[in-house]
Amino acid sequence: METDSEALPAVMPAESPVTSPRRRARFQETGLLGIVLALGLMLSVFGGSLQVRDRESGDTHTVNKFLRADNLDKLAKNTSFFAIMAIGATFVIITGGIDLSVGSIYCLAAVCGAMVLNYFGPRGAGAGASAVWVVPMAMVVCLGVGTLCGLLNGVGVVWLRVHPFVITLGTMAIYRGVAFVMTKAQAFTHFPAAFTDGFIRYKVVWGSANLYPVPLAIMIGVTLLAGWFLRRAVTGRHIFAVGGNEQASLFSGLPVSGVKLKVYAFSGLSAGIAAMIMLGYYGSASSDAGKGYELDVIAAAVVGGASLAGGRGTALGALLGALIIQMINNGIVILNIDQNYSQIIIGAVIVLAVLLDRVNSVLREKRLSRAAQLVKESRREEVCEPKP
Amino acid sequence: MSQSLFKVTPAITFRSIEKRFPGVVALHGVSFEVNPGSCHALMGENGAGKSTLGKILAGIYRPDAGSIELAGVGQRFRSPLEARLAGVAIVHQELALCPNLTVAENLCLSALPHRGPVVDREELLVQAQRFLGEVGGDCDPQEELGTLSTGQTQLVQIAAALATGARILVMDEPTSSLSLAEAQRLADLIERLRRRGTTILYVSHRLEEIFRSCDTVTVLRDGGHVATMPLAQTDADGLMRMMIGRSLAKYFPAHAACAPGPERLRVEGLSSPGKFRDVSFRICAGEVLGVAGLVGSGRSEVALGIFGLDPAVTGSVFLDQRPVLIRNPAEAMALGLGLVGEDRKRQGLVPEMSCGENVTLASLHCPGGRGFWGRLVHCPVCPRRTECLRIWDFIRLGSERQWVAKFFRRLGVRAASPEVPAVTLSGGNQQKLILARCLARNCRVLILDEPTRGVDVGAKAEIHRLIDELASAGHAILMISSELPEVLNLSTRVLVMRNGRVAGVLERPDATPEAVMQLMAGRSGASRTTPQTAPMSPICN
Repeated sequence: METDSEALPAVMPAESPVTSPRRRARFQETGLLGIVLALGLMLSVFGGSLQVRDRESGDTHTVNKFLRADNLDKLAKNTSFFAIMAIGATFVIITGGIDLSVGSIYCLAAVCGAMVLNYFGPRGAGAGASAVWVVPMAMVVCLGVGTLCGLLNGVGVVWLRVHPFVITLGTMAIYRGVAFVMTKAQAFTHFPAAFTDGFIRYKVVWGSANLYPVPLAIMIGVTLLAGWFLRRAVTGRHIFAVGGNEQASLFSGLPVSGVKLKVYAFSGLSAGIAAMIMLGYYGSASSDAGKGYELDVIAAAVVGGASLAGGRGTALGALLGALIIQMINNGIVILNIDQNYSQIIIGAVIVLAVLLDRVNSVLREKRLSRAAQLVKESRREEVCEPKP
Repeated sequence: MSQSLFKVTPAITFRSIEKRFPGVVALHGVSFEVNPGSCHALMGENGAGKSTLGKILAGIYRPDAGSIELAGVGQRFRSPLEARLAGVAIVHQELALCPNLTVAENLCLSALPHRGPVVDREELLVQAQRFLGEVGGDCDPQEELGTLSTGQTQLVQIAAALATGARILVMDEPTSSLSLAEAQRLADLIERLRRRGTTILYVSHRLEEIFRSCDTVTVLRDGGHVATMPLAQTDADGLMRMMIGRSLAKYFPAHAACAPGPERLRVEGLSSPGKFRDVSFRICAGEVLGVAGLVGSGRSEVALGIFGLDPAVTGSVFLDQRPVLIRNPAEAMALGLGLVGEDRKRQGLVPEMSCGENVTLASLHCPGGRGFWGRLVHCPVCPRRTECLRIWDFIRLGSERQWVAKFFRRLGVRAASPEVPAVTLSGGNQQKLILARCLARNCRVLILDEPTRGVDVGAKAEIHRLIDELASAGHAILMISSELPEVLNLSTRVLVMRNGRVAGVLERPDATPEAVMQLMAGRSGASRTTPQTAPMSPICN
């Protein structure tokens, strides 16, 4: 590069225009969306159909087993718990951490909420309290307990400087133990109808199907907010920076500890939201709710493209990851496959998803090196070969 | 393997080697031959592709095109193990052996002596002693490798390579973190190895070493082959010209001297147990205070201490003549103090984030220092909102793009676009991103630790020019560097450190290479030092 070395101008012009084409991988979830569509197509085609009798007219008609409104609604409901928690887990995973305690936080938040709701329920001591108070109070208890538990995880990670795997492994047992002690291993039911049928289980009758749109709406809301937050918020940017290179973030004066506290608190909050939906939908809670959810949640986040090494992940990806896993669960029922196979299939899907991600990043690297060659060649044409 | 046997057949033949990485074409069409038993220098500025070529020979990378022949036989290494079996070994500080095993275990790792399934400890020690003896190392074979100094580790690596029967050694920047004495010992060892008939490919950009140890030289520039010739046919200036396409005289630009302004940073009696003691200095606006010293003399530790990254530090720091307490980097940056760390990959760059995001990483704060509720009310009516990248807690992406474009222009960052991941940029441009990060944060006092490490010569000159410009613009700069010419040419004053203490401060006219070397090494002389209380440990033999 003779021109550079001979006369170095005081201010070098940038070689390429700054207004460049947008990043090509802006929409990273195309592949996941493809998998969802392919799975959906497969299940609709091979799932077969079902005879349904209309309640009012009494005549029967055939509907697709998968594309049936009832089934899709159930799929959305099942996905919503996991998707919301997976978004929380994605935040943690982007910073390079892990949260194993989400299942237990979910349980503890549900149990606390259930005790409040049971107290104000038709058979409780506080029966007859106004729904205007009861519903927000139950929400605050669920979300508050979740956030508090998450915050404690964060404190352990930041102040005790113990690896998040160990901290959350410990709190996983602790939170569930607390739930056990609080409930004395009994289930809580009889909630005020204002919280269940009036809120989470709000029913929309559509043809012959009963639809429950509230869990779906909450899930979509959380996804949009979290996605926007990751892309636009200062803290979102900091989350990526901490996960991409923690030491560099520290050297740049970022509040690394604060960022970590926030992501663990958010992970707890997401478990609290999921617990709230579960309470309202099923109308009961016991101390073994959410057992083993942590692995499903982390699986959903990883299938959704979050990198356990940190620095990568999206909210929409987490949602799609949860959806894919639930579609497989749903497909196993629809296709009449033995339930025992579900774990094998889901495990295989997780490995496959990570493999696909690896292939994708190799291809990306290839593309970048090819681009570099093009830049270099075009430069060589401008500058004649320097002589020794 | 006597030398005469291979006189006609070259030990190594590279034929049109090509290698591409994201963002760079590392090598294209490199062909040359290496004679058996020679110490062949592979030279070039950083980024010229010399390390890549060494790693291809050692089987760490696979070439995209081209072939390698060893003693006339074509080879396609798919792993470092295959190269090792063919007699090629690489000595590289980043590719050390297993730091958690002992020296002896590392040396015999490929063929542990055993009785049945049990490792034969005595035989292991005997063998290890023999291998160590061959390279003249006398460190304890039962010590864990991770506890040794860099120089000792390197000797163990060479011993391990020879133990597996390596006839070709690739040495990748072997002296980059050695002390002067350790480097001298390495040169002696290379001489011994050559006499035994080992072929050495010596990757370096340090002229003195190459003239001391090597007989032939190949120069690479910009991924291409420039020349291969006996060293006797050229001199330092000639090599330099081949490496960078211009002569040494232009290597360092003339320093633009300007009158220092008011005092910006003063440090008094800064100490940290075991790292440095009683360090005091002051820097005025418009000054570049160069810090010289051997590796391990506490230079970088002082920088970290000022920047709030060393909780054990005592002493006082004054910014603009006001005493300040800096407990963490966030507080330091809020006071207008910026640090460009010595290890760009670990302390600077967030590799997966885009170039632009890397630049603005430290500038997303509220310049008014308001908290959440304060911002909620104040942001829409803030008089400083044009110099701020956020509104409430959200980034203003449009303003961010403008800022990034501004700093790209100002520092001459070359990237395909501000949106590409920072890892795809060359070393020099990555360094500019981190410098831009400090400037975007409006830092008036800059601590630059090895600002041109791992940066090619062209970019180096640009960074030197930038440092000069920043000083002229009224920044106060503390520049730590291992490259003496860099310190001498850019600094207004030179502070020399030895064994964690300030050995002396030299004004520009007094700062000759001899004077600085003498202070660096102590009274006994410049070339050989055996520091008694040095934090670094002396080499094996």
